[in-house]
Amino acid sequence: MMHNDRREFIRKAGIGMLAGMGAASGILTGGGFERTTSAAWAAVPGEHGRRWGMLIDTRRCREGCTLCIESCHHTHNVPAVKSPDETVEWMHKEDGRELLGSLCSSTAALPALCNHCVEPSCARACPTDSIFRRTDGIVAIDYHRCVGCRSCMQSCPYGEVSFNWSDPRASLKNPSLDYPTRQRGVVEKCNFCSDRLVRGKKPSCVEACPEGAISFGNLNDPSSEIRKLLESSETLQRKPELGTRPSVFYII
Amino acid sequence: MRKKNILIIGLLAALLVVLVSSFRAGAESESPAEADAARVDSSACVYPKEYMQTHHMQVLEDWKNTAAHEGPDAVHETADGRKFQKNLSTCLACHGSNRYFCFSCHAYANVTPNCWNCHISPLDTP
Ligand code: SF4
Ligand code: SF4
Repeated sequence: MMHNDRREFIRKAGIGMLAGMGAASGILTGGGFERTTSAAWAAVPGEHGRRWGMLIDTRRCREGCTLCIESCHHTHNVPAVKSPDETVEWMHKEDGRELLGSLCSSTAALPALCNHCVEPSCARACPTDSIFRRTDGIVAIDYHRCVGCRSCMQSCPYGEVSFNWSDPRASLKNPSLDYPTRQRGVVEKCNFCSDRLVRGKKPSCVEACPEGAISFGNLNDPSSEIRKLLESSETLQRKPELGTRPSVFYII
Repeated sequence: MRKKNILIIGLLAALLVVLVSSFRAGAESESPAEADAARVDSSACVYPKEYMQTHHMQVLEDWKNTAAHEGPDAVHETADGRKFQKNLSTCLACHGSNRYFCFSCHAYANVTPNCWNCHISPLDTP
């Protein structure tokens, strides 16, 4: 009798723990297909009402097109470094399988950028608080503080942080005058166009895409276009199992 | 019968108005303009000229330390209640018109601040 009770208890505890883990990650697993649920974009309690997010409709993304990347890199003076092991990127295109895992059947190159995670491991790792999460959900870098230790590069599970091995100005032919450059020895990554949002403009990749494949908006506003798209489509995030809670979503 | 028709048409029209206005409200909340910040340029400085001549480094140090972390909330309020976004381009919106504004003084005082390592200097603009 005693024995049976204990078995029952262990069994129930195990089921409870699994369910708890599923709920905490915002992911429900059913039939091998992971779906992002509303928990993935629910408001973080005690924070500002706004959480910027992006949705990339990969069905509309043209093969071989790099207009979003070109526009982003020009707007933010991202240096086009020649040497392949010193590349600096805010946005790039990567094989769909590599990006989203085996759930994505497409091997076409899809746009990838910093996910502006709700639980950013890069910010946890930074010893100088140079990379941090703002109240509007943007994970930003203060280039004034960065000491170039590259802890953030090591801890970002998506490889979205780049380091300036050489003077970036040497690789900039036609700099945009609206945004600073960086200097040798600091890291950089996508800033979700915080410089443009503050002037009431949409991100430059969103404007540059001729197919309108990229949507941007406030994930905490139930009436925003991005929320409606998220609720009406099956979407994926990159590596959701890690619990970083990305703010960039993909329709495949 | 006719009265009934008019009533139905009237109700339909009212429904249409409500629907259209609700769609428009949805479209408006979409604009990123909700993130808009304090103004960037102005005709008067954030502090009196005499104070800025001796203390602009402290003012800029404070702006530098808070601008990135606070994002759109990094707003400087002057004594007379004007608001400015803490950003070097707020300064350059006026002072950039004289390309030598920073440099003539810094050369005279023999100081080399590192602002222009990253910020694009007015001397480098066409
Ligand atoms: S994608 Fe990487 S760099 Fe961006 S917030 Fe997440 S952990 Fe940080
Ligand atoms: S490289 Fe810079 S931003 Fe990254 S962890 Fe080190 S100090 Fe922080």
